[in-house]
Amino acid sequence: MNHAIEIKDLTKKYGQILALKSITLNVPVGTIYGLIGPNGAGKTTLIKALVGAVKPSSGHLNVLGMNPINDKWALRQKIGYMPQSAALYEDLSAKQNILFFGKAQKIENLNQKTDEVLQFVELTDRANDLVRNFSGGMKKRVSLCCALIHSPEILFLDEPTAAIDPHLKLQSWNLFRKLANSGVTLFISTHLMDEAMHCDKVTILMNGEIIAVDTPQKIIESGKTVLTIKDNGVITTRTIASTPEGLANELLKLGLRASITEISATPDTIENIVLNIIKKNQIH
Amino acid sequence: MKTFIVANRVLKQLKGDKRLLILSIVAPLIIIYFLKLLFDAFPPNVPITNFTIPIGALVVHFLSFLLCAILLVQERTKGTLERMLIGGYKRSSIIGGYTLGYLGLATIQAAVVLIESVWLFDLDYSYNVLILLFFVIWLLAVVSVMLGIFISTFARHEGHVFPFIPLLILPSIFLSGLLINTDELPQWAAFVGKCLPLHYAVNIIHEIIKPVFLISETYFDFAMLGAYVFLLWLCASLSLKETE
Repeated sequence: MNHAIEIKDLTKKYGQILALKSITLNVPVGTIYGLIGPNGAGKTTLIKALVGAVKPSSGHLNVLGMNPINDKWALRQKIGYMPQSAALYEDLSAKQNILFFGKAQKIENLNQKTDEVLQFVELTDRANDLVRNFSGGMKKRVSLCCALIHSPEILFLDEPTAAIDPHLKLQSWNLFRKLANSGVTLFISTHLMDEAMHCDKVTILMNGEIIAVDTPQKIIESGKTVLTIKDNGVITTRTIASTPEGLANELLKLGLRASITEISATPDTIENIVLNIIKKNQIH
Repeated sequence: MKTFIVANRVLKQLKGDKRLLILSIVAPLIIIYFLKLLFDAFPPNVPITNFTIPIGALVVHFLSFLLCAILLVQERTKGTLERMLIGGYKRSSIIGGYTLGYLGLATIQAAVVLIESVWLFDLDYSYNVLILLFFVIWLLAVVSVMLGIFISTFARHEGHVFPFIPLLILPSIFLSGLLINTDELPQWAAFVGKCLPLHYAVNIIHEIIKPVFLISETYFDFAMLGAYVFLLWLCASLSLKETE
């Protein structure tokens, strides 16, 4: 499989502080890759290293076949970056902001492209309003437009859904999925553990180290499911593996009896599972 | 080309921030008016014309520096500067764009300060002298913008700019020759004064407001102001880091 991003033994030191410790991971083309971890885990540093804003202390980085430091100008035409803060000019309109960042790239029909990205994030009717009057969620959408304006092959999104309401969060993930379906690779960081479910693959980062890499499904399967059974009016609970096979085996053991009047299965939430993984690593 | 795009954006941003725009034009007007009130209270034998335009130049110098430094620090704290660099704008375009953009405002400041000073103090200068005076104040504003860009690299937030005010501006008032000739200062203080760009602007102003002046007497001071522009541009370019 082609990799849009290849990272090998990446380390970043700030004086005596080790911000990233020997990170190795590959991101396939056209996927939504989630970088999950608590605040201070090193997510932003890793993204900044990938966009060429942070120079690695050691290790190898390859983004679209290019080195983010040595080939930064060529690379920056092919990547889009949305920082954690909105990073917009509040005294300019949404359209003026997008046009300004668009003009840094060679884009044909920039005006038309601006209208298209505004339509994509459903902000056409607010295009000429000052960003200062926008809500946090709207600013995030304008910020996404600025990152998208030059049709990048990879989008680096640093906490794109932080501090926005659940409805807008879902809307944002739907937009990200649309982009991935069109062939764009998305590298998204988040400290919201439940957002792992929206990604194709997830890396959990803690204290600058990778502590888990897997698909959201596999991560869920590494958790437990609590089975509550009401048999002859007596309620009992059992903890089983969160796999479809685990549930099937347990039901087989129980057998189908008329005395069993209720069965409910409560799997661990992905948030709990990720937090447990992080806790285990903290203990070790 | 990208330099003009950045400059255009800076101007649009300044135009959008009406409060800042009005304050940065009205503030020097008020300061010059206060200066008039102060000088009116002086005994008639004090040669106030020697101080009027140099103090006007200092006001533009100070405001241009402060405004540029603070707005650039805001760019850093809000992440737009980093976004520009990652988005494809080069350092040279950013510094060039900022210089051009803020110079638009500094030009207006230089013009209003000069016009108000001439009007309030009833200064009788020829057009040639007025044009030269405007050019000196404007050139000093270029130095201030460069200084603002350079100093902003040492500040993590707006508050960090303020310690530079007593460090840079107050020595300019006391040691640059604005109030007394630098030759009358102790040697070390005169040396410090001669390191300040305002010293050369004051020298030029003092020369060209003489009833008869020799333009050749100002060449060295103009060259020094030009050297400041180049040096500070170089320092600002080198200190604007693209990578951490």
